[in-house]
Amino acid sequence: MNIYLLQIINGIGIGMLYFLMAVGLSIVFGLLGFVNFAHGAFFLLGAYACYQFALAGLDYWLALVLAPVIVGGFAWITEKAFLHRIYKLPHEFHILLTVGVALVLQEAVILQWGIVGQNVAVPEALEGVLILGQFVYPKYRIFVIAFTAVIALLLWCLLDKTRLGAIVRAGSESTEMVSLLGIHVTRIFSFVFALGGATAGLAGVLAAPLRGVEPFMGVEALGIAFVVVVIGGMGSFAGALASGLLVGVVQSLMSTLWPEGARLMIFVAMAAVMLLRPNGLFGRT
Amino acid sequence: MMDRRNFLKLSAAAPLTAAFGKVLAQSDTIELVCPVPLSGPFAANGKFSEMGVRLAVENYGKLLGKRVTYTTMDTEGKPATAVRKVQEAAQQKGARFFVGGILSSEALAMSKEVDKAGGVYMTIAGADEITGSDCNRSTFRWSVPTYGIIDQTVRQVAEKFPNAKRWYTITPQYVFGEGLLHWSKEVFKAKGIEHVGNSSHSLAEKEFSGYLTNAMAAKPDVLLLLNFASQSSDTLRQAVSFGIKKNMIVVVAQSAGLEQFESLGPDICDGVYFGLQNWHGVDTPFNREFTRLANGATRSDPNFTVTSTYTCAKVVLDAIKKANSTDPKAVIAAMEGMQYEGPTGIEEIRRGDHQVIKDFYLLKGKPKAAMKNKSDYGDIVSSGKSFLPVEKTLCKMA
Repeated sequence: MNIYLLQIINGIGIGMLYFLMAVGLSIVFGLLGFVNFAHGAFFLLGAYACYQFALAGLDYWLALVLAPVIVGGFAWITEKAFLHRIYKLPHEFHILLTVGVALVLQEAVILQWGIVGQNVAVPEALEGVLILGQFVYPKYRIFVIAFTAVIALLLWCLLDKTRLGAIVRAGSESTEMVSLLGIHVTRIFSFVFALGGATAGLAGVLAAPLRGVEPFMGVEALGIAFVVVVIGGMGSFAGALASGLLVGVVQSLMSTLWPEGARLMIFVAMAAVMLLRPNGLFGRT
Repeated sequence: MMDRRNFLKLSAAAPLTAAFGKVLAQSDTIELVCPVPLSGPFAANGKFSEMGVRLAVENYGKLLGKRVTYTTMDTEGKPATAVRKVQEAAQQKGARFFVGGILSSEALAMSKEVDKAGGVYMTIAGADEITGSDCNRSTFRWSVPTYGIIDQTVRQVAEKFPNAKRWYTITPQYVFGEGLLHWSKEVFKAKGIEHVGNSSHSLAEKEFSGYLTNAMAAKPDVLLLLNFASQSSDTLRQAVSFGIKKNMIVVVAQSAGLEQFESLGPDICDGVYFGLQNWHGVDTPFNREFTRLANGATRSDPNFTVTSTYTCAKVVLDAIKKANSTDPKAVIAAMEGMQYEGPTGIEEIRRGDHQVIKDFYLLKGKPKAAMKNKSDYGDIVSSGKSFLPVEKTLCKMA
C-alpha cells in the first residue's frame, strides 16, 4: 500500500485523539469565554487514573468508563471552588489561576506516582496488529479511531439534538439572553466545564497505552489542544474535529515528506490558518 | 540612647558582618553544584542525578577538614537556562565544582561557562564534541561518546547477524543524535550494510507512529533507535505496538538502563538490544559496594543516572583529596591520568582530552519468565572499550 495512504490513515488515528484532547477546550471557551490552561492537567489525570486502575489490577474497560467520570467530577469541583469566581475578570486572571491549578495537579501526580514515566499495557483483546495485504496497523489504534468517532457522534448529538445542547449553543452566542430566559446559567457553565474535563480525561485514558504516562504529558497535550482549537475556531465542535484530523494528517504526512519538520508543520499550519482565516476554519466572525 | 553617628557606623558594619559570615560559612564547606533538568521531558533523569550526587556527598562526609555539600539547579533541559544558572552559581556563590548535564546541548553550553569561570566540570552527556572539538581544560566526561556507543552496539549486532543488511535509523535532531548517526553510517559502510532510510525528529516529539510507518515501508532487517531516555521509550513502545519486533531486530544504541527498563516493563524490552554505559549486574567491586549503598538509601538497585552521577561526584571529590587543595587548577591536574575503581572496573581519565576510558555494554532484553529478580532485565551480550585516539578527536586542549 502506498506509504502516503498509510500515513493518511495513521494521521486520522492521531487526529482523532487530538480532536478529543481539544473539543472540551473549544466548548469551554465558546460558552464561557474562559481560557482554561488546566485542560492539559485533566488529560494528565485521565492518563494516570488509567495507570492506577492497571496498578490495582482492574480492567482497562473499567478505566475507560470511570476515569472520565472521575476527571469530570474533579473538573466540576474545581470550577465550583475556584474558577466561577473569575469568569468576569480579564483573561490574564483565567490564565494565572488555571496555570496554577495545572502546576498543582502536576506536582500532585509526581508526589503520588513519582517522576519516572510508566507503561500502561494495551488491553489483551486489542493486542497485536491488523494485517490487510501491505496494511499493518495496531488493533488498539484502530479501536481508538472507532471509539473516538462514536464519542464525536455522541457529543454532536448532545450539542445539536438535545435541549441541553441548544442551551449550550445559545449560551455561546449570548449568556445574558440565556439567563434572561430563566435558565440557570451557572449550572450550565459547571456542566460544560465538567464535560470539557471529562473529554480531556477520556483522551488521557486512550493515550496512556499508546504513549505511557509521565508527569509532563499534560503540557504537550495542552499545546496540541490549543493549536487544534485555534485552527478549528474557538467554540466550534466541527472546527475541533476538522482541525484535529488536519493536524494529525499533516503531522503524519510530514513524517515522510520532511521528518525533521513534522512537528514544526503543525504550528506552520496554525500560522497559515490564522493569516488566511483569523477566526479559524469554522470560527464565527 | 544611640546617636546618629553610632547608628550610621552600625548600619555600615551590618552588611560587612553578614558578608564576612557568609565567607566564613563558605570556606567551611566544599560545595558541588549539580546542574540538571528537574522539569520537562528529562526531569526523571535530573531527579536521579540529584540522587547520585547526594549519595556521593553523604557518603564522603568530610574532605580536607571541611563539610562536603551540594546544591542542584534546574536547567529545564535548555542550554540557555543551564548557562544562566552556571553563571549565577559561579559569580554569585563562587561555585567552582560542577557535576551534571544530561543533555549534550546543555552540557556543551555549561562546559564553556565553567571553563570561563576557571572551574571543574564533570558530565555524563554523550556528544563527541564535549571531549572533542569543544574540549577545554575544565571539562571531564565519564560517558562513552557516540563513536564508542556505535562501535559497541551497531558493529556488534552487525557481526552477530551478518545477513541483516538493511538498517533503518530513527534519529533525534540534536548534536548527540547527529553524532550517533554519523558513526552509524561509518559502520554501515565498513560492514556493507544498506542504510535504507532515516527519520529525524525534534527533541519535543512524542508521536512516533509516522516515523515507524516510514521504517516499516522500507522493510529493514534492523531498526536502530538513536534517541535517548523518554523518547527512545516512546519510540520503542510504539514500535512494539506496530508488531515491529516480530519482523526485525530492534537496537537502542544508548539506553538509559535500569530506569528505562523499569518504565517500559519486560514485555517491551524482551528481545531488544540495548547499549548501556554501565550495568549493575556486572560483577565489579564498585558495583557490589554501590548496589549495597543504593539499596540502603533507596531500596532499589542503582540505575544508570544515579550510578554515573555518583561516580562523577566521587571522582571530583577524590581529585580534591588527591590534590590536597580546592584550587581548580590543582584538582584538574590531579584528575588527569587518574585511575579509579568505577562501575565498569578500573577506569582512567585520559590526559589528552579528559575522557574517561571505560567499557560500554550491549545487553539483550530477556522475557519476564527468565528474570531472576526484579532488576534482571537482560543479559550482557558483549562489552569493550572503543575510543578514537586523542589526535582524531579534534580536541586541542589549551
